[in-house]
Amino acid sequence: MRCGWGGGTMRGCFCMSEEHARLPPAARLTKWLVSGPPFVYLLLFFAAPGLIMVLASFRFPGEFGGLAPFTATDPDALQGLTLETYRFFFSDFIYTEIFIKSFIVALTTTLICLVMAYPLALLIARSPKKSRDLMVLLVILPFASNFLIRVYAWMIILGPQAALSLAFNGLLGMFGVEPVRLLFSPFAVLVAMVYVHLPFMVLPLYTNLERHDPTLLDAAQDLGANAWQRFWRVTFPLSLPGIFAGSVLVFIPVMGMFAIPDILGGTGDMLVGNLIKEQFLGTRDWPFGSTLSIMLTLAVLLCVWIAARLGGRRRYA
Amino acid sequence: MWRGLLFLLCFGNAQADDVLHLYNWNNYISEETVQRFEKQCACRVVQDYYSDNEEMLAKLAAGATGYDILVPTGNALESLIRQKALRPLDKRMLPNLKNTNPAYLNTPFDPGNRYSVPYAYTLTLIGYNSEKLRELNLPVDSWAVIFEPRYLGKLKGRVTVLDSQRELLAAALKYLGYSANDTDETHWKQARDLIIRAKPYWAAFNASSYIKELTVGNIWLVHGYSNDIFQADLDAQNAGRGFRIVASIPKEGAVLALDSMVLHNSGPRPDLAHRFIDFMLDGRNSAELTNLIGSGNPNRDALQYIKPEVARNPAVFPGAAQQERLEMLRDLDRHQRRVLSRIWTEIKLR
Repeated sequence: MRCGWGGGTMRGCFCMSEEHARLPPAARLTKWLVSGPPFVYLLLFFAAPGLIMVLASFRFPGEFGGLAPFTATDPDALQGLTLETYRFFFSDFIYTEIFIKSFIVALTTTLICLVMAYPLALLIARSPKKSRDLMVLLVILPFASNFLIRVYAWMIILGPQAALSLAFNGLLGMFGVEPVRLLFSPFAVLVAMVYVHLPFMVLPLYTNLERHDPTLLDAAQDLGANAWQRFWRVTFPLSLPGIFAGSVLVFIPVMGMFAIPDILGGTGDMLVGNLIKEQFLGTRDWPFGSTLSIMLTLAVLLCVWIAARLGGRRRYA
Repeated sequence: MWRGLLFLLCFGNAQADDVLHLYNWNNYISEETVQRFEKQCACRVVQDYYSDNEEMLAKLAAGATGYDILVPTGNALESLIRQKALRPLDKRMLPNLKNTNPAYLNTPFDPGNRYSVPYAYTLTLIGYNSEKLRELNLPVDSWAVIFEPRYLGKLKGRVTVLDSQRELLAAALKYLGYSANDTDETHWKQARDLIIRAKPYWAAFNASSYIKELTVGNIWLVHGYSNDIFQADLDAQNAGRGFRIVASIPKEGAVLALDSMVLHNSGPRPDLAHRFIDFMLDGRNSAELTNLIGSGNPNRDALQYIKPEVARNPAVFPGAAQQERLEMLRDLDRHQRRVLSRIWTEIKLR
């Protein structure tokens, strides 16, 4: 078998295609019929808008939103392609600042999700089969209600008249600390970010942990490893692909999130997502919005690539 | 829908073709008004809704057709006219146009009202919790209470301002004594500094949930839209709260957003559309909307039909002196929009 586990992450694909070449024509046709529609779907609805975005970022904004015409009869009218939006982006540090801030929020959310999800995923994975399914169902259950409704619910939970705020401020009061506002604050944004994305961390972790061979732990114990060593030297390294998958699933959407800061954020909680949304609605500057979106995509890819490199090195060290 | 079906059954197919397509803001016409019009014209009104001008413009730009009537705000109206998307009005079919207060006619968006007739308007002003602001003894007739730390100190965390670049900038410019449409960048920077100085005292930039927060008493003072403040007051009364939510037009002036009825080019029934516009220019029908949502009313004939407690609201019928200080927002060009967005980003980040 040429596709060894240690070879690299993309190897599996090449294996598939080699196998593919040996398939009889009928089976190949079936394979295309089955995989064709999703492929075309992705091409149409992912690649095409992406391309439009790239093109839009080199155009001028239209007077009432949209884009200025590519060619205009009036020679004085703005037309053709320009690097203007990119110059604007790089000439001003404030936009980089927003990216850095969003990165910090995304990283913090990912870490908190990881710390909270790991024990939960481990608990589920080590439970008897019957209760395991129930627990997974409970993790998925929040998806049954609308995302915005769940975020709005936090407005009530964190509101100044809610039990949580009263209890928390009561506690602070005992130590002579000024009462704080929970709603409309960076704290509220972080709480909701973690809340919304937690299942995305739990599920890949659980899927990974559930597949671990329990005899490995028995062997480690037989060789004298205590509980902590068994976790740190056996379970944890084996779960790194799950951690990576979960972190990516949390980090990427948080980087682009705009609804949560909009609803729960205070006066200083603008993230990249809000800035991009603003360009398309309030400012009606599609080219700059597109440029920001491209920068966001590049930033996220860079982060994931760095994480994959770091993770890969550790896994096979 | 059932009413429509019943109608079809009773009057047969010939009548079913008399359909008026109205593309309007959410909750911007009373159900009784629609029913009365349907009865009067023996036709059906099919409604579609939008929640902001951009949404409506985007839908039309994407090729939506078949709407007889739209109700755009000033700058969107200007945009539609420039796109040549509107049908000129035939004023001979609008005898009730005489009811409209001339102060709302002949706007810069549509000089001479070739395409548009005023429908209703919203003011952007101060809304406050009557009880709290009286207790704190703060002035409510000036933008100072929104922008000055000496007043805001007593209101920390109890104030929200609109999450809208143009509206907030306009309020700050007005307070500084400039026009809401001032485009001088040094004035914008003064406004920015004023906003950044006041920001630590504000709870949030908010354009939706402040109605509820006012009603439950979490927020005491807002920079908001007159119909939202009206709604918050209604809710507070219905919930039996001990306070009222009161609207006040600051003495420095405020922004007025006038929504107008226009005919879209693609509308198949300009005849019905003219009848509808004339019908809405009738004081009684115009008053119904004001009674429902507290909208500002440009119709002089409507006052007699408006509930007295609504008519007392300064945002519904501003006095002549107040009217002079109201300004409609003109559109910014692309360069100005980018500069403002840059300032807005700075405001949000600092």
